This record gives sequence, C-alpha cells and structure tokens, in this order.
Amino acid sequence: MGKKALFYVAVLSAFIATLICAPICRAADPIKLGACEPLSGTFKDIGDRYLEGVQYAAKVINEQGGLLGRKVEVIPIDTELKPDVATRKATKLILKDNVKYFCGGTGSSVGGAMSVLAEKNNALMLSYGMAAASLTGAKCSRNFFRACLNTDTQSYALAMWVAKSGYTKVLGIVQDYSFGHEAMAAFIKKVKELNPSVNIVGELYHKAGEKDFAPYISQIINSGAEVVWTPNWGNDLTLLIKQGKNLGMKAKIASYYLNDEYLIESVGDDSAIIGNVTAESYMLTIPTEKNKEFIQGFYKDKGYYPSWLRGKAYTATMFWAEAVKKAGKDDVEAVIKAWEGLTYEGPAGTYYMRPCDHQAQVPVWVAEMVKESKFFKHAFVGVPNMIAAKDIEITCEETGCKMK
Amino acid sequence: MGEIPVFFLHGLVYAGLLFLVSSGLTLVFGMMNVLNLAHAAFYMLGAYFSYSVLNITGHFYLCLIICPLFLFILGMLVERFLLRRVHVYGHVQELLITFGVAYIITESVKWIWGNYPLGVNLSGFLTGSVNLFGLFYPVYRLFMFFCAVFISLIMAMVLYKTKIGIIVRASVDDTEMVNALGVNVPVVFTAVFGFGAALSGFAGVIAGPLLTTYPGMAAEILVDAFVVIVIGGMGSLGGAIVASLMIGELQSFGALLFPKLSLALMYMLMAAVLIIRPSGLFGEEQ
Repeated sequence: MGKKALFYVAVLSAFIATLICAPICRAADPIKLGACEPLSGTFKDIGDRYLEGVQYAAKVINEQGGLLGRKVEVIPIDTELKPDVATRKATKLILKDNVKYFCGGTGSSVGGAMSVLAEKNNALMLSYGMAAASLTGAKCSRNFFRACLNTDTQSYALAMWVAKSGYTKVLGIVQDYSFGHEAMAAFIKKVKELNPSVNIVGELYHKAGEKDFAPYISQIINSGAEVVWTPNWGNDLTLLIKQGKNLGMKAKIASYYLNDEYLIESVGDDSAIIGNVTAESYMLTIPTEKNKEFIQGFYKDKGYYPSWLRGKAYTATMFWAEAVKKAGKDDVEAVIKAWEGLTYEGPAGTYYMRPCDHQAQVPVWVAEMVKESKFFKHAFVGVPNMIAAKDIEITCEETGCKMK
Repeated sequence: MGEIPVFFLHGLVYAGLLFLVSSGLTLVFGMMNVLNLAHAAFYMLGAYFSYSVLNITGHFYLCLIICPLFLFILGMLVERFLLRRVHVYGHVQELLITFGVAYIITESVKWIWGNYPLGVNLSGFLTGSVNLFGLFYPVYRLFMFFCAVFISLIMAMVLYKTKIGIIVRASVDDTEMVNALGVNVPVVFTAVFGFGAALSGFAGVIAGPLLTTYPGMAAEILVDAFVVIVIGGMGSLGGAIVASLMIGELQSFGALLFPKLSLALMYMLMAAVLIIRPSGLFGEEQ
C-alpha cells in the first residue's frame, strides 16, 4: 500500500503548508476594488471605458510597488445600470470575498444605492462620474466620495464661460426630467448672478430620447440666440447638433458632454462640432505635465489614447490610492479619515477632498472644439482654460448635506 | 405668424418618418394577425446594413434597394422556419418568438458593429438645402417625406388594385376557401411577412442619416410605431397614414405652443382616441 501512504503524506504536507502560509499569504492578498459599471446593454460603451481607466490606474499602482505592499485587484461588476443588480452583486463580494472598496461612474441611481450599501456594510464607494448633486448633498454619506464635478458645479462652469464670453443672447434646451430642470435652474441662476446683462431668450424642454428636433431648432433660430446651452447627453446631444446644422442653426453650442469621441463620430460632420464649447473635470488636452505622463503611459500600454472617461476614472482611482497610502492600513474607517482634507496633484490639477460632504473640489477645464487634434481623426477639444475650484464652489451649507 | 408653414412642414416630415416605421408593423398585423415585436429590430438592421453598404459602395441609393431586399429574405426565413411552427399554438407564442428574434438581432448587432453610435454620412444632392417659397429647407427631410408618400401609394395600389392584393386580403378572412381555390396560402403569408420586414428595413435606411445608428435605436422607435398603429387602428393602412399625420403635426406645433407638455402630448392623443373609439380611428370593431 505504498501508494496510499504516499497520498496521505502529500495531503498532510499540503495541509501543513497551508497552515504556515496562511498568515504570510494573507498579507499578500490583493486590495480589491469593485468597479460598478454597466458592462452590458445600451450604456456598455461608457461602462467599458470607465472600467479601463480604473484598471489602468491599478496597473500603474502595481508597477510602482502596489498599495501598502499589496497588489490592487480590480473586480468588474456589471450593474446593468440597475441599482438592485449593483447592490446584489456588491453584497455578495462584501460577504464572500471581503471586498471593501467600490467605485463607479455611470448612473446616479446606482450611486445612491451603493452609497447606502457602503454605509450599512462599512465599505467605501467612490464615484468619478455619477453627477447628481444630491449624492453629496441631501443624500450624502460618510462612506461615499466623489472625485469629479457634479451637475451644479458643471452648470456653474458653463455659466461662467457664458458670462465672460461677451454673448448676450443665450438659450437653454434641456431634457424634460429632473436632471434637465435642475441643471437649467442652476445655470440661469449663476448666469444672472455673474452678468445681469445676459438675456435668456428661451427655455426649451423636450422629452428625453427625442427623435425630431426640428420644431425646437426652428424656435432656437427664431429666438436669435447666439449661444445654445444644453446639458443633453448621448443621442439627444448628437441629434441636436446634427439636425441643427442641417436646418441652418448658427448658434454656438455650450455643452458638458461634447468632449466624447463617440459623440463626435456619430454626428458625422466636423463642421457642426467646431467652435462649440465644452466643460469637464478631465479632457485629453489639459496642458499639465502629469497629464502628458498619463497619456503617454496609457498610449504605450494600449496603443490608443485614453479618452475623457478613462482619464476621469484613472484620476479618481489614483486619488483613492493616495488616501489608502496616507491611512497606512487597509481599514475603511482609517481611509475615510485619511481622505478627508487630502490634496492630490493629478493630471487635471489639484484635487482637494472636502470633509463636509466628500465632494472633491476640482478645477473645471473649458475648451472650444477645434478642427484638428493629434488624439483623434475628427474635430476634437482644443487646449482648455482652467476655472479654479473655488470659483465654482458651492458652500457646505448650500449642499444640504448633513453627515452623521 | 410666419412660423406656421415651417412648423407645418416639420410636422409633415416627422409624420413621414412615423409612417415609414409603422407601415411594416401595421401590414403584418392587418394581413396576418401577428403582432411582430421584431419589427423594430428589422428597422435597426436596415440602418446598420445601410451603414455598411454605404461605406463599401459609397452610394446611398444602392442602400435603398439592397437593404430592403436583404430584410425581405430574412423576414421570409423567420416566417418560414420560426413563426409558422408556432402559428398553431396561438398569439402568445407568436409574440414570444418575435420577441426572441428581436433579442437575437439586437445582440448580434452589438457583436458585429460594436456597442457605440455610428454616423451615416451622405454626400451630394441629398445633403443640401432647397429654397421652398422663400424658406430654406434640407433636401433630405423632403426626400424622407416623399419616400413615405411613395411607399403609402405603392402599398395602397398593391393591396387594393391588384390580384395579389385580393389574394392576400382574402387569405386573412378565409384561409380554407382561398386554399381550396388553388392558392398556396402559407407562401402568401411568408411573402407578406418578408414584405413587412423589407418595409421596416427601408424605414431604417431612411432614418439612418437623420437619426443615430446605435443599438438602442430599436427600443426607441418601437413605442412610437405602436402608438401610431393603435391610434390609427390595428392593421389599417389609412389609419396609419392619418395617425402619423396627427402625431407629426401635434409634436411640431406642440413644441411651439405647449412646450411643457412635449412628453405627454402623443399619449394624450392616444388616450383621447381610445376613449372615443377603443379600436382606433379606422380599426374594425371586434
């Protein structure tokens, strides 16, 4: 029975090896970061690009020796853009794999649900794209951090551009639901405050997913507006630009989401893009050394340029890593404490994590769309100007956040 | 009120688009009593094929012929090998199978063309504008409207003035009698379904340059198409024309006169019609 004895010895030695290894191997366990994105369905293209930014950040961190001597592992979570799906999958990861950190950029409803889940389970949720102001306002939480702009600050940024641009006839067109209405109110309030001589010549509301913009475009043309401001995104922005150009609309468009290579391609006519104005916390053309480093590193690794979504996710993930480093241990409570008040110098300038609502104070970059760019074969964002974070600040009191 | 002609024209053009996307649906329902949920998926395929054909050949006019032809074949295959098998089990099964086909097409499109929007770029005459009684209007929008008129005329001619039309209409009402007269009814149904798919594909080709070609386009248009055929009366060609015109003009003038109601106008019209005539404007009383 030599074979059987050999088998027992093997099992025993494996068991002993596990016992010895356990404490050591445990220390070498990676720090896990669950990335909640829509990785299937209509918004897959957005989720994929955000995820790639997080993954690239993890790669950079690991190449520099990891976090607290441990590797960072990104676990993709397909949220299907549904809050219940996101929280179900995240709960499983918390219980089974001891995942403590989560991030995500798509869908404020998913962000809200994840914020509640993180608070309940002593986990941490970081967002680099969920823009509803309320997430760090009325619905704020100790366990939720946002390292990008929100709807209010973004509206303020374009309002500042309009107020200083010298144009006096401005029209707003938004999607007819809470997001559009909130953005319109914030924009008009700020414009009036900054420059009372600007005339709002029209406020248009259309249904989300509108197919024919002709009736709205005719109203824009008739209003004599010089600038059309819109928080529209996706197809509603594509069609407004495309059909507007077709029907002879000449006004400049000022929009948050022009900075998107897919959008520019789907408009299909560069002359409809050039001259419009966009504002974001990250764009490829930001002229900082750190950004050049990031873009070159990314290009070397992947063979293509990172795009704004990847850049936003990358910057925020690096910011999170700084907080973990400062905390010095893999403990959610310690990371929260360390992150509050932390400053981080990244590709898009200086980020400061405000303790009162966990909304990072970040600069906004405003750029005009230009004909040529080395990043993209179509028209693309030009070199942007920075608006400092304090110029678009919304005070802690105004946010309505009461943190426990 | 110098604005009225412009908004009227906008309404007409949008009505044209609505008619194009709902004509295939109403035809198949009217002639075969099948509610085809894959209708919008056929429409999307039309747009995507047109994108590829345009990229390869560079001729938009070719797309207008090739793409509907392709969908005609695909539609016939779906009818012959899927729909006909479940026909005997009733309407729910027919609904489910077309629903399944819609899913398969949508996912395949994401596989083949990618999950992001594509731009369909035209060139030449269609991209310009014409002077219409002192009003500059994009040629493509007018072209779209005339395509809708053309399609509605062809459909009316074929269905009501030719022998094929008589056979098709008779097949719906009395399958056995038509069969006994020596007409192969199943083949007629296969052809009708194929023709419905071709109409959807044609709508997709036409819509491509005006709207955006992306995987969400099918879901977006399906509701509109259903609203048109519910208002017009399920299966009625004339009803689809009238309903398209009503919705088109309502949307256009609604945006001008009742800007805060844009979300609800179409559904308010539908509700009003259904209260007065539960089977739609031109629908047959059940």
